[in-house]
Amino acid sequence: MTRAPSRPPPAGRWPLIRALLLAFLAVWLLLTLFPIYWQFITAFKSTGETNLTVPTFWPREWHPENFAAIFFERSNLNALIDSFLIATGNTLASLFLGSLAGYAFARFPRQAGGENLAFWILSNRMFPPVAVLIPLFLLFDSLPWGTDSRLSLIILYLIFNMPLATWLMMVFFRDAPRELEEAAYLDGYTPARAFIKVTLPLVLPGMISVAMLCWIFAWNEYLFANLFVGTEVRTFTIVIPTFSHGSQTLWNLQMAFSLIAMLPPVVMFIALRRYMVRGLSLGVVKG
Amino acid sequence: MAGLETRGLCKGWDFPLLDQLDLSVEEGEFFVVVGPSGAGKTTLLRLIAGLESADAGRIFIGAREVTRIPPYHRRAAMTFESYALYPHLSVFENIASPLRARGERDPSVRRRVTAIAELLQIERLLERKPDEVSGGQKQRAALGRTLAADPEVFLLDEPLSHLDARIRHDLRRQFHTLEALRKTATLYVTHDYTEALSLGDRIAVIGGGGFLQVGSARDIYENPVSVEVARHLGQLEINVHDAELVAQGGQLQARVAGAGDLSFPVAEQHARQLTAASTSAKREVSLAVRPQHIALAGPDAGGVPGVAESFQAFGATGALTVTVGGATFRVLTSPDLDFREGMPVRLAFDTAHFLYFARDGGRNLARGESGDG
Repeated sequence: MTRAPSRPPPAGRWPLIRALLLAFLAVWLLLTLFPIYWQFITAFKSTGETNLTVPTFWPREWHPENFAAIFFERSNLNALIDSFLIATGNTLASLFLGSLAGYAFARFPRQAGGENLAFWILSNRMFPPVAVLIPLFLLFDSLPWGTDSRLSLIILYLIFNMPLATWLMMVFFRDAPRELEEAAYLDGYTPARAFIKVTLPLVLPGMISVAMLCWIFAWNEYLFANLFVGTEVRTFTIVIPTFSHGSQTLWNLQMAFSLIAMLPPVVMFIALRRYMVRGLSLGVVKG
Repeated sequence: MAGLETRGLCKGWDFPLLDQLDLSVEEGEFFVVVGPSGAGKTTLLRLIAGLESADAGRIFIGAREVTRIPPYHRRAAMTFESYALYPHLSVFENIASPLRARGERDPSVRRRVTAIAELLQIERLLERKPDEVSGGQKQRAALGRTLAADPEVFLLDEPLSHLDARIRHDLRRQFHTLEALRKTATLYVTHDYTEALSLGDRIAVIGGGGFLQVGSARDIYENPVSVEVARHLGQLEINVHDAELVAQGGQLQARVAGAGDLSFPVAEQHARQLTAASTSAKREVSLAVRPQHIALAGPDAGGVPGVAESFQAFGATGALTVTVGGATFRVLTSPDLDFREGMPVRLAFDTAHFLYFARDGGRNLARGESGDG
């Protein structure tokens, strides 16, 4: 039997395109992974080895004590704690305010100021942040808690995270059928109880993805943190550059610290991954 | 005491939808509102449920005025056309939802949900999620949730419209037998006239911002107040032709316009009312004949000669279109006939069932005695 297969695989039909595609992916993978690889090996090198003119692609000697040196400094640990508190506080505030606003925009578009107000909120993300750096500094400086505090960064990051949370939550609330809330009213639930019983579970996966986006932004933010805090409060993003001194840079410690700082978001992402990909089926209401 | 009453209910958006609507459903009555989509049926339900606020008018449930009471305190239960089951909760929890809202204890919730599920024959699906059951089962779950609410008024919005014929028949039968629905005022809206005629204790035909006619199935079918109502009810659309009433030798005749000399003797009971309504012997009317009141006559039984235009078989019935002179008539036949275009046929008209409407306004000029005017 010499029957040709009825459906040849794409590779058989387009070998060149497939090869190009694979080459592209390989290059892309290399570009993506190389910095992480470089970060990893540098974190284990000795200071002398990091400063060689011809770099080594694998440590000659492994120095895990670089990591111990990071934690030897109590202030480094405090910086991680400060970053964590600021990121978490800001995420909770963004989610809370963004959900309320998003719900209002989704359910009461006319009363809530309409598309224009919603768009204005989003437009706050469109200007380059550096444009408002100095006005914001002066503004926060006149507040009772000043610029050099966790609260100042928690509030400041709302400028970037709350529009994002508002818009994404608005989309999620729009997708959650209003009729389900109405059915809950008729079951005897007050609007607040109906929200908790019906709407919240439907938007929860979306809410978790929004939370992660907000958290990662606040965790990694450098520009504002560098200007606002530094004495009372220090985030890890402004501590890492301090390993550079006038004459030399402690690349190995910088890399070790940044590797440690990478862990929380990565762990969180892996733990909550299923929420980010799981779209709860809203197709129960027939159109 | 009325289970449900509305007085002068008005609602409109950019256009008026419901205008001065008065409705009264007795306790234990199954009241069906039938009308085309966009006539305001769902809006009426949503107003009564409290999901929309009325522009004017008052709503009473039991003896209580609820016009300004929020939906969660109205004691009205509603099934949505879309089912509106909570997708993240099991069928059990969906049905239990009104009981949980009242804070009932677990054992009593379990007892009640199980009883309702058995009644609706969905007891084996209780642990499933709504998207894991079929359309008919979803519909039953939604109905179960409504029953569990133990309300003072049931509001059912096209509960059978998305279902296939067999399940629809099954559920329709269940509506007749559900005791809860038979003890409480039920308002049921549908666009399907068969459903309306078979379910309703009383039926209201909605259109033009209000009820065109309210009455029993028989009354509405046989004595429609207007040509609009007549057009809405019946399998195959009713035949309506312009006609002229002429007195000929002491006998009133209806001569169909544009159909040569096709004319029918006006039945005696109609003639009495038509002449009482007007003194002029000659009058322009719309003559309406339901397709089932035209029969095929045998070759030697006389009848009106016509020419077959088209024939469609629908399983249990057939629809034959016949031209007589210049007028076209739809005729309800049995499905097992064989007609070809241009075949000569003879039609026997049942003149006792003819309907006569005013040419302008469409008012029924010869309503039977059973009508209330």
